[in-house]
Amino acid sequence: MKSVFLAGAAALALMTGTAAAQELKFEPGKDARFNWKSYEALKSQDLKGQEISILGPWLGPDKELIESVIDYFEAATGAKVNYSGSDSFEQQIVIDTEAGSPPNIAAFPQPGLVRDLAAKGQIAPLGQATSDWLRDNYAAGQSWVDLSTFKGKDGKDDLYGFFFKVDVKSLVWYVPENFEDAGYEVPKTMEELKALTDKIVADGGTPWCIGLGSGAATGWPATDWVEDLMLRTQSPADYDAWTSNGMKFDDPKVVAAIEEFGYFARNDKYVAGGAGAVASTDFRDSPKGLFASPPQCYMHRQASFIPAFFPDGTKVGEDVDFFYFPAYGSKDLGQPVLGAGTLFSITKDSPAARAFIEFLKSPIAHEVWMAQKGFLTPYKGVNTDVYGDPTLKKMGDILLGASTFRFDGSDLMPGAIGAGAFWTGMVDYTGGKDAKVVAGEIQKTWDALKK
Amino acid sequence: MDNIAGTRSRLVWAVNLSVVALVVLWTIPTFGLLVSSVRNADQIASSGWWQALFPATQNLIVRAAPAESQTEEAGKFVLAGNALEGSSGTVSAFGTSSREPTAFAPGDVADLGDGQTLSVATDGSYRIESPTRFEGRSPRIFVTARTPPAFTSSNYAKVIGAEGLGRAFLNTMTVTIPATVIPILIAAFAAYALAWMEFPGRALLIAAVVGLLVVPLQMALIPLLKLHNAIGIGKDYLGIWLAHTGFGLPMAIYLLRNYMVGLPREIIESARVDGATDFQIFLKIILPLSFPALASFAIFQFLWTWNDLLVATVFLGNTESQLVMTGVLRELLGSKGGEWEILAASAFLSILVPLIVFFAMQKYLVRGLLAGSVK
Repeated sequence: MKSVFLAGAAALALMTGTAAAQELKFEPGKDARFNWKSYEALKSQDLKGQEISILGPWLGPDKELIESVIDYFEAATGAKVNYSGSDSFEQQIVIDTEAGSPPNIAAFPQPGLVRDLAAKGQIAPLGQATSDWLRDNYAAGQSWVDLSTFKGKDGKDDLYGFFFKVDVKSLVWYVPENFEDAGYEVPKTMEELKALTDKIVADGGTPWCIGLGSGAATGWPATDWVEDLMLRTQSPADYDAWTSNGMKFDDPKVVAAIEEFGYFARNDKYVAGGAGAVASTDFRDSPKGLFASPPQCYMHRQASFIPAFFPDGTKVGEDVDFFYFPAYGSKDLGQPVLGAGTLFSITKDSPAARAFIEFLKSPIAHEVWMAQKGFLTPYKGVNTDVYGDPTLKKMGDILLGASTFRFDGSDLMPGAIGAGAFWTGMVDYTGGKDAKVVAGEIQKTWDALKK
Repeated sequence: MDNIAGTRSRLVWAVNLSVVALVVLWTIPTFGLLVSSVRNADQIASSGWWQALFPATQNLIVRAAPAESQTEEAGKFVLAGNALEGSSGTVSAFGTSSREPTAFAPGDVADLGDGQTLSVATDGSYRIESPTRFEGRSPRIFVTARTPPAFTSSNYAKVIGAEGLGRAFLNTMTVTIPATVIPILIAAFAAYALAWMEFPGRALLIAAVVGLLVVPLQMALIPLLKLHNAIGIGKDYLGIWLAHTGFGLPMAIYLLRNYMVGLPREIIESARVDGATDFQIFLKIILPLSFPALASFAIFQFLWTWNDLLVATVFLGNTESQLVMTGVLRELLGSKGGEWEILAASAFLSILVPLIVFFAMQKYLVRGLLAGSVK
């Protein structure tokens, strides 16, 4: 028994040994679309023997993607990077920083948590140079700087996070061939979208698939809807006031945006399975109705990550496509885009951690992930030809063509609202509660936080 | 007499029947999980596991073979293939548009426009003919078919083939075995002292132990990790052994004390009279007699540490060299989760070792539990 055990251990050691010596995803110098000069420039730093740890929210296939980017940092500088992912990242980073054993770098999926930790002095500021760099090199640079600038423990404003990897949320997914079969056109304005919704009902179909289920986070897809509709009915200034509670949650403008969501989600004829199924359908399962025969629905509003949950073998761009969730033609609010992103912060300072943030400024760090999948960047210095598939390029164009870019509002609100009362409030609302009552309750929770 | 006997036998039947009903009720969820573990994600999303065992009528959308595979026959370009991909179903209807997916019966010839025609046979084989060369994406074929149950072992293959699973298995063992043995050792001593040694404050100590049973361990995570970092243990195996020991001790002491207190006083007193020390009494008399209780607690602690993810991620860290099995299985589910088929398969694989432990010690479990609870 013991010898079997030892033999198994030896075999394992061999396996892990080969796994460690992995190769770079794209051979340096080969593909001319990549900015290899920026890769060579990294080699000027010698970090041999230094080790940094990174904690992030990415697991499984996403983990492989981030590791393929990290490989280039390791190969160029000689530093060793330990990436580990966690599906309860938000809890774990708090435990680790509180207890005094944080990773060197944490990749936060939302700015709200960075603000909290920065205020406690648990994140190192990135400095003026980085904030200047972001302003100059990111599209809409100032807004990215603003989104990651917080008050530190000393009460001074500093840049605490570096945005890397952006998701676009204002997308509507559809099956082009189903549209062709039925003779529908992609709507260009919100008025057309509502007309199309009615037309599909008149033709005997169901226009929308909406699912809010997500375990403990049930309700979040609805917050994206409300934020998107807020941007389409009110000015960006109102949106900003709303996310910071300068405008009350039960302001008529916010209630109107919630009711605008209700226009789609609370109409039995508009939603697959009826309005009652909205809150109980899992968000991962809800897009599957697009691919049913006959189609259970024709449109699905969801962020750029959702293709991961389409049926096996679905090709984006051929079997399924997306269009921009349109703005009202009659309102002069431009083309607002709602998005989200991950920001890298230094939770334990070290020269190698600083070097890693510098690495994120090099085009190659962006291009390696762009050339694969699921990565958008506002960095103007990259070659957009490297995008792994044409749909990513199309999403990138929506991002770059935005007249207003706003970050996911629920991620900006305090955790108890943006990851609590707002979610449950939306579940109550789709369940038939009055929008005004729901908004009033969320405001009450927010008031209680301020005491 | 007949009457009485008849009543009794009918009662026995009722008891037996309800036992069978309860057992079935209890095993249904597990059985459902087992069935789900051999189905793929699309099957799980489209129908319940109870439908998996019978032939089902499905509406399928199949994209015809790509344009590169076209052949030229008698001046016509042909795309051919099987819409059911080799499975032995029977097609009852097909269509060319998502508006009317069941417009045609098998064998009919449907018009696709531009002179193209489509026909689908009962066995699912299709043929698209066109006067011109096919270009771009191929048309979709809508098929309504009755297909036999289909199962897959790919979920298990994916879990077993997961990178680092073997390493994680060793890590879990490294965590689990000491984290089971250490608390038992300490708890046995403590339980003996609390049960049979007279000293002031004993009752208070017992009350404190019972009180500790209700403290949720989540409250202790941050302070304990802070302590580990301060005294230099950090995130390592020693830290997680200590943590599991601490979290397991109240239950262990309580269970063992209650068992030991029920041992006959005469044995211990006569040993004392014969001049045995407390340590000798513990080692020679109490320990052998307490074996059932020790075994039953060992099973509890083993199962709990084996299944644990929370304590492991906090005290051990997440790097590949330290990841435990539950951590690897969680990684398989991806950043957004929701892959039920992987979850089901990994549940059945990770249950194997606890099952072995359980059956190896099962005969002690029942005896031990009973002995500990009834004083």
